[in-house]
Amino acid sequence: MNANKVLDAKGFACPMPVVKTKKAMNELESGQVLEIHATDKGAKADLAAWAKSGGHELLDQAEEGNVLKFWIKKG
Amino acid sequence: MTGKTAIIAANGGLFDAYKVYNIATAAAASDQEVAIFFTFEGLNLIHKEAYQQLPMPEGKEYFAEGFKKSNVPSIPELAAMAKEMGVTFIGCQMTMDVMGLEKDAFIDGIEVGGAVTFLEFAKDADVTLTF
Repeated sequence: MNANKVLDAKGFACPMPVVKTKKAMNELESGQVLEIHATDKGAKADLAAWAKSGGHELLDQAEEGNVLKFWIKKG
Repeated sequence: MTGKTAIIAANGGLFDAYKVYNIATAAAASDQEVAIFFTFEGLNLIHKEAYQQLPMPEGKEYFAEGFKKSNVPSIPELAAMAKEMGVTFIGCQMTMDVMGLEKDAFIDGIEVGGAVTFLEFAKDADVTLTF
């Protein structure tokens, strides 16, 4: 999937993946896609909930080894 | 802003600090307007010296390694992040008077107020939490 920006949040514990995602998202325009890489297992549920509460769209997520990947479209 | 989160921090251990700051930063990152009322031992969480060396609960010192391994941010880092994201910190005037502490003993950018200051913010909050 094509992303406008990739955020490396690997190695960070809760709540950092969400905080970093929020900051990265601030730099995007509505409709653009942010790709996030994280290793915090809690991010799986957290980023989905975060996207929903902020009116963004979680387009897809994947697991590659211990890295969780998310694609969120800014609302 | 999509809502308001009001938090009372009334305890001063390391675990208490993580509970307060994790929820506060997560809420701020989710576009919530957040205020934390620091009262009694909760004042440790914003005290310039104390917040750098908050105690683990007795007998739980072995958690120190887990914190390190999980790459959990330090409390001063989390507090700075919360401030940067616009979280309001309110120190309890009455507790400060009881403990003989002045505003300059605390980290920059805090407000000092009483219970009513917090209640005014919390009365129409969507989420209210006490730690």
